[in-house]
Amino acid sequence: MRRLFLLLSLCFATPGFTTQAWAGGIAFVINSGGASISVIDMATQKEVRRIPTLREPHHLILSPDGRSLLVGDTAGNQMMFLDPNTGEVQQRVPVTDPYQLAFSPNGKFLTVNGLARNQVDVYDAASMKLVKRFPVVATPSHLAYAPDSSTVFVSLQDSDKLAAFDLRTMTPKWTVPVGKTPAGVLWLNGKVLVADMGTDYLAVVDPETGKVLEHVQTGKGAHNLFLSPDRKILWVNNRAGGTTVSLDSTTLKPIRSYAIPGGPDDMDFAPNGNIWITRRWAEKVAVLDPATGSFETIDVGRSPHGLFLNPKGPSPTVVSSR
Amino acid sequence: MGDPFDLAAGWLQEHLLIPALYQFGLMNWEDVSYGWALFALYGAAQVAVTFAVCLPLEHWRPVEHWPDSKAVLVDVLYTLLSRVGILPFVTYVLFYRAQVSVTGWMTDQGWVPPTLEGLFPALLGQQVLTFVLYAIILDFADYVRHWLAHQFRWWWALHSLHHAQRQMTFWSDDRNHVLDDLIAFVWFGVIALLIGVPPLQFPLLVLLLRFLESLSHANVRLSFGWLGDRLLISPRFHRAHHGVLGAGDRSCNYGSVLPWWDMLFDTADFSRDYVPTGDPSGEEALATGTWGQQQMAGLRRFTRAFRRSHVPHGV
Repeated sequence: MRRLFLLLSLCFATPGFTTQAWAGGIAFVINSGGASISVIDMATQKEVRRIPTLREPHHLILSPDGRSLLVGDTAGNQMMFLDPNTGEVQQRVPVTDPYQLAFSPNGKFLTVNGLARNQVDVYDAASMKLVKRFPVVATPSHLAYAPDSSTVFVSLQDSDKLAAFDLRTMTPKWTVPVGKTPAGVLWLNGKVLVADMGTDYLAVVDPETGKVLEHVQTGKGAHNLFLSPDRKILWVNNRAGGTTVSLDSTTLKPIRSYAIPGGPDDMDFAPNGNIWITRRWAEKVAVLDPATGSFETIDVGRSPHGLFLNPKGPSPTVVSSR
Repeated sequence: MGDPFDLAAGWLQEHLLIPALYQFGLMNWEDVSYGWALFALYGAAQVAVTFAVCLPLEHWRPVEHWPDSKAVLVDVLYTLLSRVGILPFVTYVLFYRAQVSVTGWMTDQGWVPPTLEGLFPALLGQQVLTFVLYAIILDFADYVRHWLAHQFRWWWALHSLHHAQRQMTFWSDDRNHVLDDLIAFVWFGVIALLIGVPPLQFPLLVLLLRFLESLSHANVRLSFGWLGDRLLISPRFHRAHHGVLGAGDRSCNYGSVLPWWDMLFDTADFSRDYVPTGDPSGEEALATGTWGQQQMAGLRRFTRAFRRSHVPHGV
């Protein structure tokens, strides 16, 4: 057996990674259905490398110190740490069912939603030790923090609810119905916004009481929402309608709708003003010019999901939209 | 240009499935529906490729001629249900959710679920090679499952539905009792937990393996030669397994794709030449009944296996 192991190890050694940094910046696109990560040269908008993962990665997040990009592999029960400048794999850590993940604004906690296992895990960000596990019903999908890191809000997709967890006491605060199949969550102007995928609207929720204050219509299958780097525009991807909609982030009034077919999902913002959007069912990323409404496409792998742009190496100006 | 199957599944998802899910308030199934669309398309391709290759072969050198082929029609239904219809959907939903949940629990206990890539890290990124190794292991697991299905009276009672067909064609691969399918599903679910089978990463290779399994049932005089028959299972080799003298616990040639396990465990028989197929010990409905009649007959035989001390177990 040991001989077989050595033989296999020698015969199929992993090809060495190129550790060059791309001058024009690099983008990482997670191919959830293809068990891989596409590395794209942002200047040429071409895929330059594909990093294999174990089973089924979905989302990714930059560490607070900017030194690692964490990629959650749900079916592989593994967290991959990548160098955000080169794509080199730094380490692989066993983590149960890491679906959606985000660091708290104070950098202290990493919250990981276990969508298939119905759990919300809060890790100590520095040590990656599990601090608290909240069992939930059911399918925790997306998450967002209060700016003071006191609370994390989690959408529970299969039970049509939003849950709030107090991170100071590590206790549940409330769980309330917010609309059909809630997905994307975002803190904006003292409120929590939830994209209800089973409807055509966002629910605006009071973060203290969980009360739904109003609905904001965006399009069929409102799925995910992002704030522009200047914080002036709220962007919403509508899964069933195949549209991306911009709204005034203060008034929540619609500005413009863009047709992005193929199941628009995650989004990130390039320094030139373009918006990169993964198209889940088209094996493509759309690079949208919001001024003209036209978009270019980049071929990637199956079911592209999480997306991260690193325009100029390890710059503190990198905006993480997740 | 992307994978044509992915793009076709994406088109189905965007234009048919998502509008329907949205309309009926079922958008929480949208990931599952895409997975099903992929399974169904690959299944349809399997059926189409198998049909295009095997039908001419069966016309070219048939083993048997039948006055009518009505009994084959129900096998067509089995194939469509198994490869394009509800079964891929159930498999995708149950298998995926169960695998993530159980392996996640294992990780929590401090035991990282094993994978071939974990055992041999150099395999990461070697997708085709990894798949081939997984395929060999799974083929062995199927050999063991199949052999056991012939050893236990109650299990044979279910599995005999597969053997009852006297008009065996390439359509016969999927004719199984639903309980037999369920056992196989659990069997492979456990194996998957032990070695971490990657879901839907290598669909084209799965398509090739399923094609070989269908081909092995074809009504055609086809051998791969002395050496070829010892590398891959041919219609001649597998027909001996379905022979009337091979029903029950005295069968031979249990392998699905690779004959290696039969050779290794001395269950291979390369001497039988294009024998008649069927199971004389079973009731007629198992062979010529409708889908429902066959399922009921299988269930009756299954329950009898527990009631009686002796029931026909092969011939």
